[in-house]
Amino acid sequence: MSAHDHSHGHDAHGHGGLQMGHHHISSSAMFLNVLIALLILTGITVGASRVDFGPANMLIAMAIASVKASLVIAFFMHVKWDTAINKIVFLSSFLFLSLLFIFTLSDHATRRLDGELTVRHTNVQYQWTQPKADPNHGKH
Amino acid sequence: MSHDGHHSVVIPAPGPEFVPHTVAHHFDTPVQEFQSAKLGFWLFLATEILLFGGLFAAYFYYHEVYPETFRLGGQQLDWKLGAINTTVLLLSSWTMAMGVRSAQTSQKQKTLMFCGLTVVGALAFMVIKFFEYKAKHEHGFVVFSELFAPYDQATGSLAWFKDYDGVMAGVPHGHLFFAIYLTMTAIHGLHVIIGAGLILWIMVGAAKGRFHNGYFLPVDLVGLYWHLVDLIWIFLFPLLYLVP
Amino acid sequence: MTTNVPVIDTHAHHAPEAGGTNYLNNRSGFWSWAGTLDHKRIGLMYLVGVSIAFLCGGLFALLVRLHLWEPKGMLFDNAQYNQIFTLHGAFMVFLFVIPAIPGSLGNMVLPLMLGAKDVALPRLNLLSFYLWLTGAVLATLAIVLGGFDTGWTFYTPYSLYTQQAVVTIGLAIFVLGFSSIFTGLNFIVTVHKLRAPGLTWFRMPLFVWALYATSLLQVLATPVLGITVLLVAFERLYHIGIFDPRLGGDPVLFEHFFWFYSHPAVYIMVLPAFGIISELVSVHSRKPLFGYKLIAFSSLAIAIISFLVWGHHMFTSGQSTYAMFAFSFLTFFVAIPTAIKEFSWVATIWKGSIALNSPMLYTLAFLIIFAIGGLTGVILGALNVDIHLHDTYFVVAHFHYVMMGSIALAFFAGLHHWWPKMFGVMYDEFLAKIACAIIFIGFNATFLPQFIMGSRGMPRRYATYVPDYAPYHAASTVGVIILTVGIGMMVFYLVASLFQGKKAMQNQWGGVTLDWLCPTPPPLENFDVPPKVVHEVYDYSTLDYQSMQTPVR
Repeated sequence: MSAHDHSHGHDAHGHGGLQMGHHHISSSAMFLNVLIALLILTGITVGASRVDFGPANMLIAMAIASVKASLVIAFFMHVKWDTAINKIVFLSSFLFLSLLFIFTLSDHATRRLDGELTVRHTNVQYQWTQPKADPNHGKH
Repeated sequence: MSHDGHHSVVIPAPGPEFVPHTVAHHFDTPVQEFQSAKLGFWLFLATEILLFGGLFAAYFYYHEVYPETFRLGGQQLDWKLGAINTTVLLLSSWTMAMGVRSAQTSQKQKTLMFCGLTVVGALAFMVIKFFEYKAKHEHGFVVFSELFAPYDQATGSLAWFKDYDGVMAGVPHGHLFFAIYLTMTAIHGLHVIIGAGLILWIMVGAAKGRFHNGYFLPVDLVGLYWHLVDLIWIFLFPLLYLVP
Repeated sequence: MTTNVPVIDTHAHHAPEAGGTNYLNNRSGFWSWAGTLDHKRIGLMYLVGVSIAFLCGGLFALLVRLHLWEPKGMLFDNAQYNQIFTLHGAFMVFLFVIPAIPGSLGNMVLPLMLGAKDVALPRLNLLSFYLWLTGAVLATLAIVLGGFDTGWTFYTPYSLYTQQAVVTIGLAIFVLGFSSIFTGLNFIVTVHKLRAPGLTWFRMPLFVWALYATSLLQVLATPVLGITVLLVAFERLYHIGIFDPRLGGDPVLFEHFFWFYSHPAVYIMVLPAFGIISELVSVHSRKPLFGYKLIAFSSLAIAIISFLVWGHHMFTSGQSTYAMFAFSFLTFFVAIPTAIKEFSWVATIWKGSIALNSPMLYTLAFLIIFAIGGLTGVILGALNVDIHLHDTYFVVAHFHYVMMGSIALAFFAGLHHWWPKMFGVMYDEFLAKIACAIIFIGFNATFLPQFIMGSRGMPRRYATYVPDYAPYHAASTVGVIILTVGIGMMVFYLVASLFQGKKAMQNQWGGVTLDWLCPTPPPLENFDVPPKVVHEVYDYSTLDYQSMQTPVR
């Protein structure tokens, strides 16, 4: 249960945001640093895409994007200072999304292996015939 | 509301230019109200991640199936415009973060200014997007005027995908890249427009003095929404414009 | 658990003036309902809505069964039949089973059980109801605009080609999805932030635990359905080609997306039912739940495992063999937490002081039916068996044993259990017991024959069949008529009780959770004095017998 029940309403003047819980108010300088880092990373991601690393290009692009996303989440969205439950909620959405990715993509990736499975034909398959359009078929 | 003499909690305003905030009747403390709304909003953002996640899954799926289509399609997009738009959104994310900070520190004028700049960023993003779409229209990659034309079963050709220069002729299902590009950027663009509307709504409230160090919840939540819009674009940019 | 001595004291003091007002009569007029933020009134509006949807869905089911009385079909041509069974599925799944228990009983009871004045986000709660209403209107509009014949699963490519109102029903499902998301979101926040002092996580009633697990699924799975139906709509409107094999798309991708939601959705439907049963076996056996923590954690375990098994709906779809192995293997794991629940319920009843009143009879019916429904699910999860049984009446029978036999019966059980709480009146217990017996017999008569004909190869969704299957179909149709009589009886005595029912007791069944300790029916903010919880959950030594003999005012 949310346990910080502190008194409210009259003794909190001058403390930024105290009445809504203890909020971290980030400094302007920190926000500016994050912005600069994000812009530099954007430059790097463009630069990296100009060079052909083969299949690694995708990994590099996604890695840089993930770093940028982490910066936005941690600092701009204040997740670094947020409550544990809020962190869990937001980050678990990525976890469950990864399930969608993993199963869907692995289905496609393993589909090409299907042809390599040796199918053992049993006699049943050859003996089976299409039932005639006889309403009595299947009566035992 | 309640009959047992329970009075609602009021957060006083820090100065004459601000108005006090009354905590909703079913909450006992401002902290409870703030944390409830915030947890609810994080859950909502999680649903947004999963909603876009479906589109990303479709992207990766078809990137696997038709790698050449995606490589060639990505080259038809203007990465310079994409990079400019990325910069615009990152800047607007920064102004939004500063806007929230200004509200937290009861700086009314600065709140209004930074939120205003964020809206300007949103508009700039949409204008650039418009010119991008226009170029796609002119090359016949996405012929917007034919978007809802019925599909011709007999010829099997798509009305909205003309590819006038024939650049995608050599790859299978060239339209698929542009279909995914259009769907993802259009849904993202819709979020940009909704976000801009929400920030305007925040500015109205801020002008009335509703947001200050004692109560800045709506500014905080709209800020989170705007950062999410930025977050999604951070992935869209390399995937669509710089396709490896 | 949770005695609340102050509440009882306050009652005595405030009795004269507080006697008249409760959530039903404290305000009146159309807008006092249409614009209400009170969770109990919203719950009641949901109850009316989902009941109407259930009766519509039931009517469609009746038509389907009557049509199948004769091998060549009795009522419709094939195209009409396709529409009718689709309507049955879509109405039942999206308008009834998914929202029914969380929307009506959950809204009504969850804040009471937590000792809260309301849900955490009351306006979102009202929005959720209006989204449900919008979805219901759109779904009805889709019928007017030409209907839809895709089955409730909307499989591509058929759903892309059929000349029917698929976009409208898709939009309805998108809207209903967000209704469901907002309910779930609200419940999660309420459970986290609005529990009464002393109500620790392991003092929460198990209905709350079940709704919490359900809510996690609603929030995490439903958005993917939203984007999926949106993509189907785009596909129909401007042919993006993502799901259209003519344009290079892969219909199997649609099935992945659809079942990523719709398998967890099965647990969105059934977990609240588990919660109701957990509550009822304890109260009506007057015994603490056997394995309380196991049941609580098994709800969460089911929620998580349900995200790993969706491919078992796609064993004949062209999915890769290796994916099928994985999905089939993982499917068996769902059986473990589910069996833990079933055994715990039975162990709770064992040597309890069992009161065979109507909610308990529905509960016992659930325990029997769910055992069959659950075990046949394990059979279907086995890859090689499913290849034979896929899309046969065996599957139909299996999921009706779960959805109708288990979930709807648990809903009825909960409705009978909380009816005196909600309205302060009691229905006719004698009629209730008779109706329960008729429903139980009718249900089994309807669906047991379907297991047999399914295992003999009768495919689902066919408008006609070879005469060999006629006896099974006939038995099934007779069963559904019995079922209809039972449900008609239930509707009759429940509605009649509102007009001429006897006054219920303050604590009709002797519950010790907070929902039974607030006044009956609850006043606007539920508790006269904010409750404080000092006892463990389901501690029947704290039961105040006097409240069981005091009629409501």
